[in-house]
Amino acid sequence: MTPSTGPGGTGKVMIRLENLSKRFPGQKTDAVANLSLDIYEGEIVVLVGPSGCGKTTTMKMINRIVEPTSGRIILDGEDVTAADPDALRRRIGYVIQQVGLFPHQTIGENVATVPKLLGWDKARVSARVDELLNMVNMAPETFRDRYPKQLSGGQRQRVGVARALGANPDVMLMDEPFGAIDPITRDRLQNEFLRLQREVRKTIVFVTHDIDEALKMGDRIAILQGPSQIAQYDTPEQILTAPASDFVSDFIGRGASLKRLDLSHVSDITLTQWPTVRVGAEHAQVLDVLRRSDKGAVLVLDDAGRPRRWVGADDLDRANGRPLDQIGLPPEAVVEPHATLSDALNELITARFSVSIVVDATGVYQGVVDIDQITDAIRSMRSEAVARARKRLDATPNTRAPQPAGAATPTPDAPVTGS
Amino acid sequence: MNFVEFLINRADDMLELGLQHAAVVGVSVLLATAIGVGLGVASYRQPRSREAILAITGAFLTIPSFALFILLIGPLGLGFLPVVVALTMYGLLPIVRNTITGLREVDPSIIESALGMGMSRAQVLRQIELPLAWPVIITGVRVTTLVLLGIAAIGSIVLGPGYGDLIFTGLARVGTPVAVNLVLAGTLGVVVLAILFDVLFYVIRKLTTSEGIR
Repeated sequence: MTPSTGPGGTGKVMIRLENLSKRFPGQKTDAVANLSLDIYEGEIVVLVGPSGCGKTTTMKMINRIVEPTSGRIILDGEDVTAADPDALRRRIGYVIQQVGLFPHQTIGENVATVPKLLGWDKARVSARVDELLNMVNMAPETFRDRYPKQLSGGQRQRVGVARALGANPDVMLMDEPFGAIDPITRDRLQNEFLRLQREVRKTIVFVTHDIDEALKMGDRIAILQGPSQIAQYDTPEQILTAPASDFVSDFIGRGASLKRLDLSHVSDITLTQWPTVRVGAEHAQVLDVLRRSDKGAVLVLDDAGRPRRWVGADDLDRANGRPLDQIGLPPEAVVEPHATLSDALNELITARFSVSIVVDATGVYQGVVDIDQITDAIRSMRSEAVARARKRLDATPNTRAPQPAGAATPTPDAPVTGS
Repeated sequence: MNFVEFLINRADDMLELGLQHAAVVGVSVLLATAIGVGLGVASYRQPRSREAILAITGAFLTIPSFALFILLIGPLGLGFLPVVVALTMYGLLPIVRNTITGLREVDPSIIESALGMGMSRAQVLRQIELPLAWPVIITGVRVTTLVLLGIAAIGSIVLGPGYGDLIFTGLARVGTPVAVNLVLAGTLGVVVLAILFDVLFYVIRKLTTSEGIR
C-alpha cells in the first residue's frame, strides 16, 4: 500500500484540517490545539486516544457542531470554515453513540430527515427510505412504520447509519457509533458496516477509544495523545509493526503481533499444496501418492474439486474395498480466502494435520495454510515495517525543525504534531 | 324545595351559566397558552430570563383574586374583559413552567443529531423539541384550566359571566333557604365543567401526542 492511497482511496484529500484549535468558554487550556490532518477520499480514518485527547471535539469541528476557535476546515477543496453550517451538515452524515433517533417519528420518517430537508419530492424520499433500510438489513415493510422505542439497540444503530446516509453524503462522521452495544452485536454491526462501506466508499471519520475497534475499522488511524499532538497517523499495519513512540506502543497494548494477524488475510499469503487425489482414484494410486509425499494422509477431493476426506495409509488397509469417500476422516478447519490469518491460525491449532484447508467461494480446494506460513507472514510484516521505519529515519533531517503549518500527511516522520 | 328540584327548576340557567363559564375560561386558557408557550420558548435556553419569567408569572398567582378583579375595574371596566385578563395572568405560570421543563428535558443527543443533519434552530424547535415537549406542555395547560375554572367564579364580583353569579347571589341571601342551594349549584356547575375539561384534555393529549412517545 502506498502511503497516499488507502484500500478504498483515490489519493484525493477529502477533508483537510489546518491548524485547528478549540478552546471552550471558561477553559484555561485548548481542547484541541493547532491540529492539522489530511483525510483521503473513500477511507475510514479512525481518531483514537484516551479520554480528554480531543478526538470527539476534533470530529465535531468538521461539521461545526463545535465551532473552531481558529484554523480552517477544507472539505473537498472548499473552505467551509465560515460556510452556512446547516447546508454544510446536510452534506455530511452524522452518527453518534446515543444514536439520537427522533422518538416521536417513525423509522421511515427518521431516515427521511435529510432528503426532506433538501426538499426532495415524496416519491423520491419514500424510494430512498426503502433503499436505505434495505442497505442496513432492515426490511422496510417490517420497520418503516415502527417507532424507535420498538427497536433493539443494534437495530436503532442501523437506523442511525441509514439516516446518516440519507442524501448520499460523501463524508460521514461517526462518534463511537457502536460504543453502547453489547460485544456480540457490536462485532456483527462492525462487519456489516465494513461490508456496506465496501459498496458506498464514503470518506468516514470515526471516533473511538477502543484500539481494537480502531484497528478493525480503520484504513488509517490517528492516535491522539493530547490536545496538540497526533502521536501517529498511519495504517493499522504500520501502527502495529512500527509504533512511532512509547505512547503508541502502550496504547496498542500487549499482543500487537496477534492483532496484526487480524489485519492479514489468507488471500495475502502464498498457499502450500497438500497431496490430493480424486475421489474415484484406485487405492494403489493413493498409496503411491502417499509414499512420494512426506505427509501422513492425502486429501480426497470430489469431482468438483471440493475436499471430502482425509485418508491415511491405515485407512486404506482397513478399507475392505470401500470407496475413498467412505473411509478416513471428514475435513475440518476449512477457511475461505477472505478469512484472516487469525481465523486460519485458530482453525489449524485444533486441526488433525495442523493445517487449515483453503477453499474458494464455491468450496473448491485451493491449498493449505500451516503454522510456518503464519510465522513467516508475521516475520515478513515485521521486517517490512522495520525497513519502512528505517527509510523514514534516513529521509528525515537530523535537525528536528518544527513541522511546517501544512497538514499532517501520513507519510512524513512520526510523530506528526501541530507546530 | 330540595336541591334536585332546585336544579330542575333552574336547568336553563345552569346551562347558560355553564356555557358562559366555559367560554370565559376557554378564552383565557387559549390566551395563556399562546403567551405562556411563547415566553417559555423565548426563555428556556437563557437561565436569566428563564428565572425572571418564572418569578414574574409566579408573582401573579400570589395576588389575591378578589383584589385583582377590583383593580382591573379602573382600566378595563366591568364584565367579560377584566375577567379574561385576570384569568390569563393567573394561568401563565403552569404553562410557562411546563413549557420550559418540557423543552429542557429533551435529550441533548436528539437535538445534537438533528442539528448534525442540518436542521436549523427553528426547524429543531418546531419539528423536534416542541413535539417532544408537548405532553408536558399540555399537562400544564390542563392544570391551568382547572385553576382558572375555580377562580373564574370569583369574577362575578366584576359582573363577569359564569357560575359565580349563583354563588354570589347565594352569598347575598345567606340565612334564606335558597342560599345553600344557590351556592351548591354554582359549585356543582364548576365541578362538572372541570370533569368535562379533563376529559377533553385527555382526548386532545391522546390525539396530539405521537405514538412513539406515549
